[in-house]
Amino acid sequence: MAGVMPLDDVRVLDLTRYTSGPFCTRVLGDYGADVIKIEQPETGDPARSLPPFYQDEPGLERSGLFLMLNTNKRSMTLDLKSERGRELALELAANSQVVIENFAPGTLDRLGLGFDALREVNPGVVLTSISNFGQDGPYRDWQGTDLTLLAMGNMISFGDPDHYPLKTAGHHATYHAGYVAALATSMGLMSAELSGEGEHLDISIFEAHTHSIDLRLGRTLSYQYNGQIAGRAGLAGAIGSGIFPCADGYFALNAGAGLVNRMIRMVGREDLLEHPDWSSVAELSKVERAEEFATILIPWLLARTKAEVRAECERFGVLGGPLNTVGDLLEDVNFQARGFFQEIDHPTTGPVRYPGFHSTLHRGEPMPERKRAPLLGEHTEEVLGDVLGLDAGAIDELRAGGVI
Amino acid sequence: MTTSSSNGASPGGKRLPLDGIRIIDFTVVWAGPYATMQLADWGAEVIRVESLHHFAPQTRGLIARPPPEFAINSANQGGAYPDDLLGDRPWNRAPNFNDHGHNKRSVTIHLGTPEGQAVLDRLIEKSDGLVENNLPPNIEKQGITWERVSAINPQMVMLRVPAFGLEGPYRGYRTWGNHMEALLGHPVLRAYPDLSLDYAPSGVPSDAASGVGGALAFLMGLRQRKKTGEGLLIEAATAENFVPFIGDFIMDYTMNGRVHEQLGNTHPTMAPHNVYPCWGTDRWIAIAVRSEEEWSRLCGVMHQLELDADPRFATMESRHEHRDALDARIAEWTLTKDAYWVMERLQFEGIPAGVAMHERDVLENRQHEARGFWRTISHPEAGTQRHAGPLWSTTGSSPRPARHAPRLGEDNEYIYKEVMGYSDAEYDAFEEAGHIGMDYDPSVP
Repeated sequence: MAGVMPLDDVRVLDLTRYTSGPFCTRVLGDYGADVIKIEQPETGDPARSLPPFYQDEPGLERSGLFLMLNTNKRSMTLDLKSERGRELALELAANSQVVIENFAPGTLDRLGLGFDALREVNPGVVLTSISNFGQDGPYRDWQGTDLTLLAMGNMISFGDPDHYPLKTAGHHATYHAGYVAALATSMGLMSAELSGEGEHLDISIFEAHTHSIDLRLGRTLSYQYNGQIAGRAGLAGAIGSGIFPCADGYFALNAGAGLVNRMIRMVGREDLLEHPDWSSVAELSKVERAEEFATILIPWLLARTKAEVRAECERFGVLGGPLNTVGDLLEDVNFQARGFFQEIDHPTTGPVRYPGFHSTLHRGEPMPERKRAPLLGEHTEEVLGDVLGLDAGAIDELRAGGVI
Repeated sequence: MTTSSSNGASPGGKRLPLDGIRIIDFTVVWAGPYATMQLADWGAEVIRVESLHHFAPQTRGLIARPPPEFAINSANQGGAYPDDLLGDRPWNRAPNFNDHGHNKRSVTIHLGTPEGQAVLDRLIEKSDGLVENNLPPNIEKQGITWERVSAINPQMVMLRVPAFGLEGPYRGYRTWGNHMEALLGHPVLRAYPDLSLDYAPSGVPSDAASGVGGALAFLMGLRQRKKTGEGLLIEAATAENFVPFIGDFIMDYTMNGRVHEQLGNTHPTMAPHNVYPCWGTDRWIAIAVRSEEEWSRLCGVMHQLELDADPRFATMESRHEHRDALDARIAEWTLTKDAYWVMERLQFEGIPAGVAMHERDVLENRQHEARGFWRTISHPEAGTQRHAGPLWSTTGSSPRPARHAPRLGEDNEYIYKEVMGYSDAEYDAFEEAGHIGMDYDPSVP
């Protein structure tokens, strides 16, 4: 069957703003959902005012962050605080399978658009709420940003042991919660389709990070096993592990006693593997062996570029990667060969490369082309006509009343 | 395809969304297992296919039979064994596995033999999905390919999670998440502004992102199957999955040619925006001030109203410019305070502040307590501990109490006999031939 996408029968009423919610609905749009993004008339999603801006000039259609987060969506302006706006939102919800919001907890109820109100017009509706700490509990109304939420989600493990903890880059913390919300929404949709009953899904950014498997999740169990807090010990410390200098930059490597034999071969010292000091896991776990090996490894690295070391790692099955900049990434041979970055045209920026899809469905045809982020209110009339069947006269009236 | 759900009905008697979905799990390390953990939580029967003749590194611990000093060395890195003791079967006592393994089952098959491959064929026939995240050439050499899987079971949803792609120049390039993220540019973006790059962080949020993305992609596969009546292969490379998470930096490069480096905890506009040392060992408070009003309130809490009057700190822009001096002043104030005191006090004023929490903090946190975030699971060889509950809450049917992570080969009898339909005599013969057991072969180090 040609042209089928998993969510092409799903309409999402997208009430989200800023970063977490838009990341979620962007992913659902990629998988084929019809995402109707509701924006405040005049100002729109506040993310339109977040950097980086095209040519560093702020403007509602110039934010690179907004453009990246809002592909494959239709934008409709609607004043949710007006009575007519609320009615239209409920009508749209009645014609959608999913509603997603990331207001502060309680806001949706105050707008008269809470789960009960939505269920009245659409008993099968899946409502996804994303918030800092969840819809209940003592922290419900606490404030948070990417930095503070990540901190609370066990950020202590990120960084160097002798220095302060480091956050992840940019908006990673809220994006991640948005991604969790996309998974939750899809699961909720399956559940609602099975039972015929709608669900309210509650995603807490704090919980999404406490739950993250990277270094954080396993360590909460490890702590219960032996009472030790791991701190920022990281992955370094074991033999052949850490970030090392090379001829044109830095290179991250991991070996440890179990895998260092590959690295010993890579640096041309297979002779060591014959020696009892270098051939048992017990010996290779000793700190002095790690120190001795560094005196062999570092001169070898300093004689080679990042690209050369990477190729040698691949050849010998050694775990390692170059410390690149984002600029290096955009020019990287693998991503170019796979055509990962997608050029998308936009009236303000012209054609610009964007990150590609999170996954590829091998459907026997290429993934559908991505549509650029919508201009503010670009699809207001289209949505009112298509989805709600309003005629030009009714739309003009709404416009005159400041509802759209 | 329907399978007998062996976990029983959920407490409310309602079905879970993935009840009746059986998944073969060939995942290793963190990213893949985190994906199947989500699927298992919501009802899927996830069967880890393992072998007594092969130890997948960094999955049931780093190696199967580590020497005691090895156990002690890894203990302070979050890889501790219970009470720092390896036990008779260390592979059943490794913390990461015992965390992401809950609700999953384990079957052992000697895949290096033709009979083993025939057993796998039968399991493929009886399943809905297959998930793996190995180095593509390696797993393909073991006969796990879409061609084979789809020939046996055209309904199969097969999710593959390579590092860089099933095809392309880096198809055979082996990495962990930290090396892959390094290549994407993430550590350079977030590294300390004032230290060389050999201090760059090596945390791997891409693994968590890949687990979430993998589970999502698998659900999309199930939906696609329902629509088309056919199974399909889905490719969710961990690298491609993670790039959008640094997407705004990508856009600044492609729109403006700008390369960001070593941002640390700085924010493009906000100041203060950092972590500050508190009383005690390795205690930090994160504070982010979003407006002039929040700044005034912070000065009020600090009883340092002269800071409010300092022209260097008069506006967000000037505070940002003088952020090193600003951070030093705030650190002076936080240094003698308890991190929780600062958090509660600033949150009372509506200022975003959060303790940089560690393992004990999150386990004892009152918000997590109030929302029932942790669940208790007992493991026959590792004792009773608290594990993270489902990744979100819902008013619909919620996951049932979790079973412990399976011990190696723990579910052999159920899977060989009930799932695959082998007779008692056939089962005994497989055991005789070294397919079935709960201990790695002595040849496995």
